[in-house]
Amino acid sequence: MTPARLIARQSLSGLTRDRSVLILIAFFAAMVLVTAWLGWSATNTVDAIYVDAATYLAASGQPVPPNPVSQSAPLAVLRNLGVYISLIGAFGSIVIGQLLIETDRRAGTLPLIGARPFERSDLALGKMRAMVTATGAMMAVAAVISVAMLFTIPSLVVRPGDLLRLALFLVAGWAYITIFGFVALGAAARMPATASGLIAATVVWLVVTFVLPELTANVHPTAAINPVSTLATTPDSVFFHLMSRVLGPLSLAEGFAWASGDLLSFLPDGLAPRGPVPPAVALPVALILAGLFAAHSSAKLDLNAGGPDA
Amino acid sequence: MTKAIPAVSTSGLSKSYGDAVVLHPLSLDVPKGEVFGFLGHNGAGKTTTIRLLTTLLAPTSGTARVAGHDVASDPIKVRASIGYLPENVRLYDRFTTRENLTFFARLSGVAGPVEAVRETLDFLDIAPLADRRVGTFSKGMRQRVGLAQAILHQPEVLFLDEPTSGLDPMGVRQLREIIEKLHARGMTIFMNTHLLSEVARSCTSIGVLAHGKLVFHDSMQAVADKYDERSLEDLYVGVAERGPEVAA
Repeated sequence: MTPARLIARQSLSGLTRDRSVLILIAFFAAMVLVTAWLGWSATNTVDAIYVDAATYLAASGQPVPPNPVSQSAPLAVLRNLGVYISLIGAFGSIVIGQLLIETDRRAGTLPLIGARPFERSDLALGKMRAMVTATGAMMAVAAVISVAMLFTIPSLVVRPGDLLRLALFLVAGWAYITIFGFVALGAAARMPATASGLIAATVVWLVVTFVLPELTANVHPTAAINPVSTLATTPDSVFFHLMSRVLGPLSLAEGFAWASGDLLSFLPDGLAPRGPVPPAVALPVALILAGLFAAHSSAKLDLNAGGPDA
Repeated sequence: MTKAIPAVSTSGLSKSYGDAVVLHPLSLDVPKGEVFGFLGHNGAGKTTTIRLLTTLLAPTSGTARVAGHDVASDPIKVRASIGYLPENVRLYDRFTTRENLTFFARLSGVAGPVEAVRETLDFLDIAPLADRRVGTFSKGMRQRVGLAQAILHQPEVLFLDEPTSGLDPMGVRQLREIIEKLHARGMTIFMNTHLLSEVARSCTSIGVLAHGKLVFHDSMQAVADKYDERSLEDLYVGVAERGPEVAA
């Protein structure tokens, strides 16, 4: 087993024994379940009303319109999932990124690892591998719950194409939360006090999620994470045109919200993403840049720091 | 006849942070098989020296070789040859002793990590702690597990940074016995310490560092022969406070 893989495995094993991580993941899973339940409940209500109405209409000899549930895209029932990924998923990822450094720093094991015969880059690779695996596990939880719900609602007709779109949405969600995990990992490695890294990454997340969408598209902060906000029209002013151009590529929450709406098939046809860089480009580029930051910072991590007082 | 390669050899090795010189150019040879006691006041530069020798810090100038390998140009070979126990090691609290040690054995590239862990636990007489979580351990127990991770890959040179710090008299005695056993196996031990009584009992040579400068370096036998009427404490205080001429 390579050193990077060993470090990743040890780090992941440590995360599974950390109560705060388990609570966050359980909370994330619970909110995904709530999303699923809301979608299931709303769809079932509409379906039940339709069945009653259709029965009445048929009995009275009137024409029966098609079931609205079967007319809408089945993935639209998952629209709230994007919100929980943006909020709890991203914040959970930040906590995980910070803990990947904090755990070793507090245990005083960094010098023990640093005195082992492998390249410093293996440490960075191991930590990043643990990061992408942990966020992948979070999205796998979301995938299992989402797919189970889609097949539980009898009136939904799920086609292979829908599952492909759901998979792409989950990949986009994984990329989105991993960006913040990498930022937290890099910030924790770069700053001598690990709590500073957590604060720095949280500030980045707050700016990306709530401040930038307001500057680029006049999206109210509380609406910024909602995929439905992508339907709102940006005011036609010089300020927003300029901000959209300059800050648009950094407005990842907006990009993810648009991608969520597009992939979960509830955006009207022909609605184009705002800003000069589409989310399909902005999210991967941001992931790569955040990964480079995490790799560089972890490889330069001060291995002498740490111990019980860290 | 070729001269044996020293286990640790430095030439003009120094470390500065900006204008602050932590370690003045240090030239020192520690032959193989020695138990070298590195003495000095707090902040003298002992820990910095160990960090330079274990490749955890890059020197500002000078060179150092450990087990024949250059710390700057061949750090991985240096790391493959050393064991290191820093001061205040804690290890992973939520893992058992065995889990901690197996991780470090694998990271050291030990071929049979499970067997190596078992042998080390037996050697240090801590097999009963194997499946207990490290977070429940006292300082002394933790220190022994820390020592286990430092020796389980059977390094040529073992670096110990204040290994007796915080130990009770029983723990100090146990550590001394372990050092004697490791010495008997031929391991070179480079030990930072404040505890002069332990130096007198365990070490075969000593060096004294004061304000980043090596002010004394000789074998314990020579110390005994030359200064037999003076205690090690008097000698240490003299050279640490007033320089090497005091020892002359």
